[in-house]
Amino acid sequence: MLKLKTFLDSDFFYQFKSDRVAIISFSVIFLFFAAALFAPLLSPMDPHDPSQIDIMDSEIPPVWSSSDYAEPDERFLLGTDAQGRDMLSAILYGLRISIIIGLFAVAVQMGLGIAIGLISGYVGGRVDAFFMRLADIQLSLSTMMIAIIVLAIFQASFGAELYEELAIFMLVMVIGIAEWPQYARTIRASVLAEKNKEYVDAARVIGLSSPTIMVRHILPNTLSPLLVISTVQVANAIISEAALSFLGLGMPVTMPSLGSLISAGFEFIFSGSWWITTIPSIVLITLILTINLLGDWLRDVLNPKLYKG
Amino acid sequence: MNLRKLGMVATVALATVIGMGVSTSSHAKTLKMAYDADPVSLDPMEQLSGGTLQMSHMVFDPLVRFTKDLSYEGRLATKWEQIDETTMRIYLRKGVKFHSGNMFSANDVAWTLNRLKESPDFKGLFEPFNGSKIIDDYTIDLTTSKPYPLVLTMMTYMFPMDSKFYTGTDANGNPKDMVKKHGNAFASTNESGTGPFVVTSREQGVRVEFDRFADYWDKESKGNVSKIIMTPIKEAPTRVASLLAGDIDFIAPVPPTDLKRIEDDANSNLVTMTGTRIITFQMNQERVEAFKDKRVRQAIVHAINNEGIVKKIMKGFGTAAAQQSAAGQLGHVEALKPRYDLKKAKALMKEAGYEKGFNITMMAPNNRYVNDAKIAEAVASMLSKINIKVDLTTMPKAQYWPKFDERAADMMMIGWHPDTEDSANYSEFLLMTPNTETGKGQYNSGNFANAELDALVNKANTITDIAERKKLLQQVEQLAYDEAAFVPLHWQNLAWAARKGVHIEDIVNVMNFPYLGDLVVD
Repeated sequence: MLKLKTFLDSDFFYQFKSDRVAIISFSVIFLFFAAALFAPLLSPMDPHDPSQIDIMDSEIPPVWSSSDYAEPDERFLLGTDAQGRDMLSAILYGLRISIIIGLFAVAVQMGLGIAIGLISGYVGGRVDAFFMRLADIQLSLSTMMIAIIVLAIFQASFGAELYEELAIFMLVMVIGIAEWPQYARTIRASVLAEKNKEYVDAARVIGLSSPTIMVRHILPNTLSPLLVISTVQVANAIISEAALSFLGLGMPVTMPSLGSLISAGFEFIFSGSWWITTIPSIVLITLILTINLLGDWLRDVLNPKLYKG
Repeated sequence: MNLRKLGMVATVALATVIGMGVSTSSHAKTLKMAYDADPVSLDPMEQLSGGTLQMSHMVFDPLVRFTKDLSYEGRLATKWEQIDETTMRIYLRKGVKFHSGNMFSANDVAWTLNRLKESPDFKGLFEPFNGSKIIDDYTIDLTTSKPYPLVLTMMTYMFPMDSKFYTGTDANGNPKDMVKKHGNAFASTNESGTGPFVVTSREQGVRVEFDRFADYWDKESKGNVSKIIMTPIKEAPTRVASLLAGDIDFIAPVPPTDLKRIEDDANSNLVTMTGTRIITFQMNQERVEAFKDKRVRQAIVHAINNEGIVKKIMKGFGTAAAQQSAAGQLGHVEALKPRYDLKKAKALMKEAGYEKGFNITMMAPNNRYVNDAKIAEAVASMLSKINIKVDLTTMPKAQYWPKFDERAADMMMIGWHPDTEDSANYSEFLLMTPNTETGKGQYNSGNFANAELDALVNKANTITDIAERKKLLQQVEQLAYDEAAFVPLHWQNLAWAARKGVHIEDIVNVMNFPYLGDLVVD
C-alpha cells in the first residue's frame, strides 16, 4: 500500500497524468494486452480448430458493411476470411501470437544484450573490443536479411511440417538473436559511465566479486535507458514478425499471427473483400503506434536532459 | 498556375482519348492479343503443350477439329470412313495451298504422320498408328495395329506440314525436318502450314506478328482479322489491366479474382466455359490402412462439400463433380451427383469402426491449379469434422511433382485434363492399377486397384462402336463412384476476355484452342 502511495505521489506518475498521449497510448496497449490474454474467453470461436470452420461462411463482410458474395452475419462481427474463419477470433488469437513473439524475442535480446554489454563494459580491453566488433558486424547486416536467410534455410531443410510446429520458437530465436547489439551497446555505454563512480569503487573496496558488482550495483543504475529501448524493441520485434509472416516465412496460415492474417487477405483486396487484410492491419498499426508513443514519452520522462522543443 | 496546369493535363488527356479512338477505328481488323506466354517454337511437333497447339491452330490446320459441342468438323479432311476394323480412309480437301505456295496433297499427310511418330512428345499419342497408304493425291488410308476408337480424335492433333518446304538441309547442315527440343532446328523458326495466319515476325518472349494468309482455302470462314500482334504478358494483373485500359483486345487466361472486374466493365466481353480439367484428391491405400475400407473412402467423399468449395473458393468458377468425365464426354453419367452429407459421412465412419478418427498427411501444390492451396485447406478442415486430423503441406509445383512421384503423403491433390478429350484417358492415368511397364496408372497416387475397372477401360480402348464404348466408360465412372476410388472436387472453368466487339464467344472451346481464323471483329 505504501509502495503504491509512493508511486502515485511520484514525479513519474504526475508526468503520466498530465500527458494525454501517454494516457491514451497506455490504455490502448493495456486493452490489447488484456484482449490477447483473454482471447479464448473473448473470441466466439477457436480459429485454430479446423472443425469449427465452415467454408460456407467464407468471405462474410463485417456487420456494418456489404459485399457482392455474401450478406453480413451477426455471428461474425468483423466478418470472415476466405476459409470461413471468424476475423474477430483470428485477430484476438493473432494478437496473442504477435505479442508473445514480441515479448519473448525482446527477452532473448535483453538477456544476450545485458550479459554481453555488462561484461564488455566492465571488463573492457580485448573482451570489449571483440564483442563490440561483433556487434558492428551484426549491425551492418539488416535484421530482416538475417531472419529471411535463416528461416528460409530452416524451412527448406526441415520441411514445412516440422516448421509449422516450431514456427513460434524459431521466430523468437531469430528476431531475438538478430537484435542483441542494440541492448549490448546501450548497456555498455551506461556501464562505462557508471563503473568509475564512487559507489562502485566502494563496492570493490569491500571485496565484492566482479559478477556481484555488475549485477547488483551497476545493472540497476542502467535500467532506465533499458526500459526505453525495450518499448521500441517490442514494437520492432512485432513488426519483424509481421513482415516475416507476410513473406510466408513466419507463422503458418493454420495458426495465424497478425502478419499472416494480413498476408492471407492481401490477394482479396482488389476483389472486394477488403476487411480480411485491412482490419488486422489497423490493429497492427495501432499497436505499434501506441507502443512507440509510449516509448517516446518514457524516454522524455526518464531522460531529463532531453527537453521537448 | 494550378488551374493552368490542370487545364493542360485535361487537354493532354482529351487528346490521348481522341487519339486512341482514332487508332482503334483505323486498325479495326488488327487484333492485339496477350497470352501468359508465347509459343516456344513454330514447330507443331516440338512440344506437346497447350501453347503449341494454340499456335498450330493459327498457322496450320488439323485434318479434323472439334466443334464447340465436341463433335468433329472436317478441316483438311472433307470426309472419312472406316473401311475395316483397323483402317480409316480419309478424303482430303482439294486446292489447299501452303504458305510457301506448294499445293497440299496426301504426300504431306503421310510425311506428317511419319514425323509425328518420331517426335519425342507426340509419338506416345500416335503409337497405335502403324502406317499410312496413299490411294491417290487426295485419298489416304491410315492404319492402326489394333482396332482403335480414337482415330478421329487423334486427327485433331495432326497438323499437316509442307513436306517439300521441310525437306533438305538448312544453313547449319541439319535436315530441315529435324525435331529437336529447345534446339536450333529449322522447323522451330520457319513455318509453312495451310493455316489462316502467316508468321511475319517473331521475337521470342517479346512479340509475334501474324498476317492473314491471302490464299487461305477456307473462303467460307467469317473471320475478318487481317493482322494479329501477340504479346506475352506473364503477370495476370498486368494482363487484365492492359485489357481494361484498352491496349489489348483479347487476353487469356483470366485470373478468377479479376473475373468480376472484367464482367462489370462495360467495354469488355468475358467468356467463361465449363472446362474438362477435373481436380481430385487421391487416398493412398498403401500408406493408410483405413483407406482400404470402402466405407472410409465413401465417408471422406461424403464429408467434403465440393459444391461449397466451388461456390465460395472458386466463386462459381468451376463445376462441382462426382465423376471424372465432364458433361459431353463419352463416359459422363448424368445421374452421378455430388454427395456432400456430413451425417452420412459420420455414420459411415462409425460403421467402419473409425468413429474416433485418425491422423493423415496431405499435400497439395500452391501454384498449379486455380486456388489449389485454399481448396486443400478447406478440405482439411472439412475432414476434421469426421475426426480425421489432417497435417497439410502445400508447396510450389516444382517441388510438388517430385513429391507426388514419391507418393509422399496420404492424400494428394491432382488435376487432370485428357489430351484426347476422351473419358478413358482419365482412368488410364488416374485409376488403373499402377503398372510401370504399360505406363497405366502413372498418376494413381492412391494405389487404387480394381481388376474390374482395369478390364473395362482396356476393353473400351479396343472398341470402335461408340454406343458400346459409351456403355463401358459409363460403367467405369459408376464403379469409381460406388467404390469412392478418389475424391472428386470440381472441373475447373476456362475464361477468356476481350474488348466489346471482338466476338471471341464464337471461337473459344473447352480444349482452350481459340480458332482465331474464324474470329469476327466489328
